[in-house]
Amino acid sequence: MSAPLADASLVESIDAFFARRVSPELAAEVERTGALPAEVWNELEGLGFTLVGISEESGGSGGSLLDAMSIVIAAGAHAAPLPLAESYAAAWLLEQAGLEIPSGPLTFVPGTTADTLDCQADRARGTVHRVPWGRGVSAVVAVAEHPEGWRVTVLDPAQATLTPGADLAGTPSDSLTFEADGVIGSGLVFLAEDPRWRLGLARTAQMAGALSGILGLTVRYTGEREQFGRPIRAFQAVQEHIVTIAEAAEITTMSVWRAALASQERPSSFEIAAAKLVATESALHSVRAAHQAHGAIGMTREYPLHLYTRRLHAWRQELGTELALAGALGRAVRESGSITTPVADGDHGVEVPWPTT
Amino acid sequence: MSLEPTVLTGAETALQHEVRAYLDERIPPGTYPLSLGMTGVSDPAFSRDLGAKGWVGMALAPEYGGGGRSAVERLLVVEELLARGAPVGYHWVADRQSGPTIQRYGTEDQKRRYLPGIARGELSFSIGMSEPDSGSDLASLRARARPDGDGWRLDGTKIWTSGAAEATHVLGLFRTSEDRHAGLTQFVLDCTTPGITISPIPFIDGSQHFCEVVFDDVRVGDDARLGEVGAGWTQNTGELVLERGGVDRWMSLMPVIREWAPRVLADDGAALSDLGRITARMWALRGLSLAIARLVDDGGSPVTEAAMAKEMATRFEKESVELVARHLGRAPELAASDPVESLLARAVLVSPSWTIRGGTTEVLRGIISKGLAS
Repeated sequence: MSAPLADASLVESIDAFFARRVSPELAAEVERTGALPAEVWNELEGLGFTLVGISEESGGSGGSLLDAMSIVIAAGAHAAPLPLAESYAAAWLLEQAGLEIPSGPLTFVPGTTADTLDCQADRARGTVHRVPWGRGVSAVVAVAEHPEGWRVTVLDPAQATLTPGADLAGTPSDSLTFEADGVIGSGLVFLAEDPRWRLGLARTAQMAGALSGILGLTVRYTGEREQFGRPIRAFQAVQEHIVTIAEAAEITTMSVWRAALASQERPSSFEIAAAKLVATESALHSVRAAHQAHGAIGMTREYPLHLYTRRLHAWRQELGTELALAGALGRAVRESGSITTPVADGDHGVEVPWPTT
Repeated sequence: MSLEPTVLTGAETALQHEVRAYLDERIPPGTYPLSLGMTGVSDPAFSRDLGAKGWVGMALAPEYGGGGRSAVERLLVVEELLARGAPVGYHWVADRQSGPTIQRYGTEDQKRRYLPGIARGELSFSIGMSEPDSGSDLASLRARARPDGDGWRLDGTKIWTSGAAEATHVLGLFRTSEDRHAGLTQFVLDCTTPGITISPIPFIDGSQHFCEVVFDDVRVGDDARLGEVGAGWTQNTGELVLERGGVDRWMSLMPVIREWAPRVLADDGAALSDLGRITARMWALRGLSLAIARLVDDGGSPVTEAAMAKEMATRFEKESVELVARHLGRAPELAASDPVESLLARAVLVSPSWTIRGGTTEVLRGIISKGLAS
């Protein structure tokens, strides 16, 4: 039986929305000001796209995890400068914890080894780093291990001291320091695995989208650009670059879908870690291939390739850097005593600890 | 139709467990020589036993002794065999390639003559395609079949024919006219036919699996012809397309990796990272293989996707040899008393062939590029 994939009309309408509302100019504007494009976000929210995959009882738009991932894939394919992956993962966790989902864009604290945040039911103290879109969201969701599961805290970023930062793509990546105030919601939830894997899955979906984005650009450019009297795509050496990117997009997208399917059934840290690692390796080769195929034009900010390749560079090394993910995955497989079981069986029971870096 | 992720049904999972239980019993670890993937050791008794279980010729129709099973079911059986480095050499080509081709293009008489024996694991096929001057450019081949009375006379040389020394039959492609593609015709030949000489060519690891097959004035009846005169190219190409996405394209080193994984030391960060990389890739490639098999069962023909899967998979399995071997601390030895080390040593030597056999990386990239453009 083939897995039911995402709702086709949803994919079509979100694609049309991004094609109309997202542009390289918008991305440049966001990068220059560091401000989340509120107008575009509000429109998306009004259309119900920001809470797909969250049940209607919890205030969401309904739909499956696969539907939610198809929105994030589309966001990646259009290099949309919006916290859709973060918002989805944060809202999912709030739903799990039975907490109210605030309106507006949300973000999710990824956690770094330098973080000092300590959350109690009514107060929060300390600093969190590399929080994507930290300055523009209406709420920040943080998790911490707790003897009874996970403590989920909803924080008001307006109550924090903000140190702005940016990742390689110019997307806000901020530090937030809380002195005591700022807790808008708090609860405990039992989950078999670290809830940040859900954010990792959403980021991997965004990477799959970005890979299809650079495939589209590279196919188009190499068909139009002429050298030596013909389109450069006529040259085998150039075709190889296209093949590299097409393969990367194919295997990464398939891995995202499979990890999402597994997430609907059981703990899926293994599948998400494997998918993210495949995305990370694929992104490296694809970024190189896309730049090589484009030549000098791809190195400029006048041509949109950088919107994708800078994002892929950043995403490769966050939510589990390549080395941390590979090590965590390898350790989990070694301890399980079998490599064939997680590769070939659905119910393999291999769990991968969240690789904080 | 594009590839969709798929999960196993209950019946498919049950098959997986049945195969595992049988193989644990039939070939317990340490009781058989380990093989590297599809170029496995030839063990006719093992192939017959698998045939009796219904796990050879699974894709063939029941009326010809086959299992009438799906591509997914066959994938699951093959996966278990290759994971254990099982001796699949005797029946591999017949099961994967020759049987389905004969079923598709053969006459009723040919199907009755060959398919039951293939499904019982009794017949062993080899593929007579490449020639000394025709490798990737297969359509330039020169081995010739001339009409001779009511039959044919074959002359020429086939080379790089794996397993021919043990094979009972060879399925060969011969030139029947000067037309480059439309001048090729397939023949099924009994290896004992007078005029056929099979000589092993020592392979890089010292094995004798690789052969040259010389046809010197070989006379056969018209019933040796498979399909229409001049249809050989199309038949041959179709034969190659869908097997490209199989699990055999990324599992060659699995018998080594599954032994190595639990032996990695808990504090060896570099080896753990490499194990993680290998695991992630295998999991992802398995997803592609499974999705391709499912789409084939649903009547699809994912030609470009299968070529992509093979291109990625074979490059990965070649790379995986290095990811494992670099943690040994020295070059592995063929004569090592540890059979896993010995197998790794063979892998170091033979793995360059993994991105050559059945269509080179370069040829595959050309196919993918054309597929993407159309």
